[in-house]
Amino acid sequence: MTHSLHRRGTEENLSNDYIVFAIAAQGINADGASAKFARFAEVVEKYEPVSFGDMKTGNVFSVGMEEIKKNFKDNSIVHAVFTDPDVVAEVLKELKEIDLGLSIVVSGLLEPVDRCCRQAGTPRHTVEHSLGIWGRTETLPGEKVLEVSTMCGHGMVAFGLVEEMVDRIKAGTTTPKEAALELARQCHCGIFNPVRAEKLLASMGK
Amino acid sequence: MKIDEVLCTACEQCIPYCPMGAIFLEGDMVKISQDECVECDICRRAGVCPVDALYQPELKWPRTLRSAFSNPLVSHPDTNVPGRGTEEMKTNEVTGRFRRGYAGIAVELGRPGTGARFYDVEKVATACAKLGVRFEPANPVTFLMEDRRTGKLRPEVLNEKVLSAIVEFDLELQKVPEVLKALKEVAKEIDTVFSLDLVCRAEPDGSLPTVDAAKSAGFEVSLNGKTNVGLGRPLKEDG
Repeated sequence: MTHSLHRRGTEENLSNDYIVFAIAAQGINADGASAKFARFAEVVEKYEPVSFGDMKTGNVFSVGMEEIKKNFKDNSIVHAVFTDPDVVAEVLKELKEIDLGLSIVVSGLLEPVDRCCRQAGTPRHTVEHSLGIWGRTETLPGEKVLEVSTMCGHGMVAFGLVEEMVDRIKAGTTTPKEAALELARQCHCGIFNPVRAEKLLASMGK
Repeated sequence: MKIDEVLCTACEQCIPYCPMGAIFLEGDMVKISQDECVECDICRRAGVCPVDALYQPELKWPRTLRSAFSNPLVSHPDTNVPGRGTEEMKTNEVTGRFRRGYAGIAVELGRPGTGARFYDVEKVATACAKLGVRFEPANPVTFLMEDRRTGKLRPEVLNEKVLSAIVEFDLELQKVPEVLKALKEVAKEIDTVFSLDLVCRAEPDGSLPTVDAAKSAGFEVSLNGKTNVGLGRPLKEDG
């Protein structure tokens, strides 16, 4: 649940961060859903997502696209990450046309997503907000580290790994792009946005 | 997770990959704190160990909970949902879980990146139960409750540590401010963090009644969030 919610950031640095994912309801419409996930993948792939993954198998940087496509299950959750809301609107239009019957969820800045929904003729049905982080927040690292690590909602991108990558960038032993891809590899379901991460890491590594 | 001490060369490559900071160098040996390890498997799966010294021993109850709640590739046996084990609003147009006039709240303890023990999960669940919330039946934490009216968990699980666990429930919209205020209070009693979510069905004009409810309790709502676009079928009737 909520794996794509709680991404920290500013309106500016979240403006290139949109996830579209498909899921079936277990016990209701999940029987035979694996073939529908394959069709979903065909559609989103045409729009060149910057990341892609299935929670049951892994992501495009860790196991590769072909391995993901071979292993869709009825309880898969399949994700594609885009940087442009206009592209998201096009994806939604096509998903509406082919009418897979899977639930489709878009994560991202809510106002642009609402505009995408209106453009695509898919008005928003249900919306989830984050109300922030509570409790012992003094134990957390700085906001910049959180902006990167929270792009993996399952916590697979350790705070310490983000800090390690920033140290390597500063030392000149890796580039922001290489660091972003190494972090993206850890996020199994493929919702980590390597394009956004590269920008954030480049700024942190200066 | 364990390390084969014969194979390990103490290169320390795996250390930064652990979200819990449970891998550490002691003398000339790399070790894993079994108390802090949440069995998420990321250290092994990252593939950075040059000699494959990391290995996953068979887990027994209640330690199996660590893997189920922390490794996103493992589906929860009770719900068949991978990740944290619940569909919540993602399939709402099909399940009708959150209807107009109601809201959903999810309290994800341990997130971001901190981990949580079930005794803290229980503190949050019992605080919410006192306000008459309805715990989501298809949620792995609810399955661990010995009494859903009180939110009390099975005693043998309380000290288990997981990467995160979600207390999830729905309630009448008018109760949202009261419950959010209670969550603010219980947040002072836990030894971890939680990320808080608020869900609602959009009104016919697209407006979201939870926004005002959250603001009235002194909470700011995020600029970003999740939007279910209603394409799942069969469509549950509105209500």
